[in-house]
Amino acid sequence: METPNTRQRGQESPTILKVDRIVKYFDEPEKFQVLKDVSFSARKGEFLALVGKSGSGKSTLLYVLSTMDTDYEGSLVINDERMTGKTQNELSAFRNRHIGFVFQFHYLLPEFTVLQNVMIPALKLRRLSRPEIEAKAYSHLETLGLKDQALKLTSKLSGGQQQRVAIARALINDPSIIMGDEPTGNLDSKNSQTVFDIFRDIVGQGHQTIIAVTHDEDFAANCDRVLELSDGRLVK
Amino acid sequence: MIRLPVNYQIAATYLSSKVKQTIVAVLGVTFGISMYVFMNSFMSGVNLAQNRLAFSTLAHVRIYNDRPADRSDLVSRVYPAGTIANIRNSKVIKYTDGIKNSTEIIHYLHTIPIVQTVAPEVNINVFFKNVGNKVNGTLSGVDVTNEDQLFQMSQLMDQGRWRDLAVRPDGIIVGVELAKNLSLKVDDNLNILTADGVSHTYKVIGIFRTNLSSIDKTKAYLSITATRQLLAENQDYVTDIQVNVTDFKLANQLVHELAPILSYKVESWSMANAQLEAGSNLRDVIAVAVSLTILIVAGFGIYNIMLMTINEKIREIAILKAMGFSGFDIRRIFLTMSSVIGLVGGFVGMGLGYLVSRLVNQVPFNVAGLATLPMDYDPRDYILAFSFGLVTTFVAGYFPSRKASRIDPVTIIRG
Repeated sequence: METPNTRQRGQESPTILKVDRIVKYFDEPEKFQVLKDVSFSARKGEFLALVGKSGSGKSTLLYVLSTMDTDYEGSLVINDERMTGKTQNELSAFRNRHIGFVFQFHYLLPEFTVLQNVMIPALKLRRLSRPEIEAKAYSHLETLGLKDQALKLTSKLSGGQQQRVAIARALINDPSIIMGDEPTGNLDSKNSQTVFDIFRDIVGQGHQTIIAVTHDEDFAANCDRVLELSDGRLVK
Repeated sequence: MIRLPVNYQIAATYLSSKVKQTIVAVLGVTFGISMYVFMNSFMSGVNLAQNRLAFSTLAHVRIYNDRPADRSDLVSRVYPAGTIANIRNSKVIKYTDGIKNSTEIIHYLHTIPIVQTVAPEVNINVFFKNVGNKVNGTLSGVDVTNEDQLFQMSQLMDQGRWRDLAVRPDGIIVGVELAKNLSLKVDDNLNILTADGVSHTYKVIGIFRTNLSSIDKTKAYLSITATRQLLAENQDYVTDIQVNVTDFKLANQLVHELAPILSYKVESWSMANAQLEAGSNLRDVIAVAVSLTILIVAGFGIYNIMLMTINEKIREIAILKAMGFSGFDIRRIFLTMSSVIGLVGGFVGMGLGYLVSRLVNQVPFNVAGLATLPMDYDPRDYILAFSFGLVTTFVAGYFPSRKASRIDPVTIIRG
């Protein structure tokens, strides 16, 4: 919930992400400027919503922030590290460690169990041993009420459950930032509320920042801060 | 599987979750490699059988006194062109018959390391006469022990014993078809008529069968001393020296070594029988062509399956990349898959190839002294087949995996 308390904490915390004068063009079907001089910063422990009409460039901005899209002008700094100009391999290693993703569609790997899906990013990172990773994955699943489902294939789960697995997967490496591309876009209102509450709990601990693109007005209204894009410009 | 790094674990899961597809891909490689093994084993078996057959009557190197070059037109060499000469019925005369100093030559041959066996022979054309029947053919006076070492004559005997020839100056051993044509049995008498008109009667003490009808029909063996006696020649007289080297492929090397220092014709088996070498080379080419074709087809199968898998999993690849897997990781996942297919297919293929070879080796084939279809079991064929299989699957996996590694997660995830 948006309370003066959380707002204040957000303002006191150090900057985790900073974008400066981001400009991006789409070349097809014809050259078109989709982002125009976007600059803002996010603080540690902040819950940000990115809103705007479709075509306003909000998803495009999110993918620039995610480091997956490197075709832009301007600069992106996350955790005091400049992302702009890094190689793809450096960026993927960075994402693995510092960024978690939750998408509109869960995008779980259907041939793996719930537990394996959650463990994969951590197995890639190799910061912890396998038993430690497994214990951690179980504890995340337990928090999200999915412990019983751990050994099922993800295709056997309901939509809401799948999205919670995706959140557990996003959290496994303790990323500094969790990015969501319409994380509740495919869920009914009850499940949407659950996901929102989970996000709220995560930022409530003060270590992680969430930036989510959303169409859901209730969702946006309850965030710490709302960034609104219109025709590629930040208007709020 | 639990202990593997995550890339391998993902590859293993992808392979095991689409078992049917994986099996089809593995079977493609298995089939290619087993055919490679089988074809090459069979072809080299045929080549070996052919060589064994050929070398049962053919030495690796033969030294003999060739007819001298035609020099009947001596006038034009000495007198200027345009000189009118009238020479009729000019003749080329062979000054020496046979090989002079044969003992020294044989002695020298024994000092060459690659020389295995040396057998002097006295070969002459004769008429074989048994009362009314008369057949012309070759009479070979041989050094009984060495000839046996060279051509395994004692194993070719239908009746009688080869080594009796050494102790029976009156004995003769004849080819099985020659014996039939002359109605001869062991202990019958056989009259020989030489070109010089000498006639002598021998006793048939044995009958041999080489399975080469041109030999079986026309050849008979005497001991070399008996032949010299028949021709009234000295104890050094030899018309041919047959030499075997340690490996028949070294024959030409020996020829190059001997030709400059001997004044006689030195001829290797491949010069005398170019068709043998051509045949065996052609068979090798066919074997390799057929099996490589099969492997390439299998390779395309794998390529196809890998491409299908990658297209199917394009979203998952994008999501793996979003979660921090690099292009290198993705490539490794898919290359691991194709390599596992190649390895499993390779091992099973070698086994299947061996089984098929064993089976075909049992098929009866009663031609030219063979009992079953010939087969060779050379580990090199297996190693080659296995390596070709690995290379094929690696190449077939490489391009799809490169494609996968280049997938741009943004375009896929945004749709």
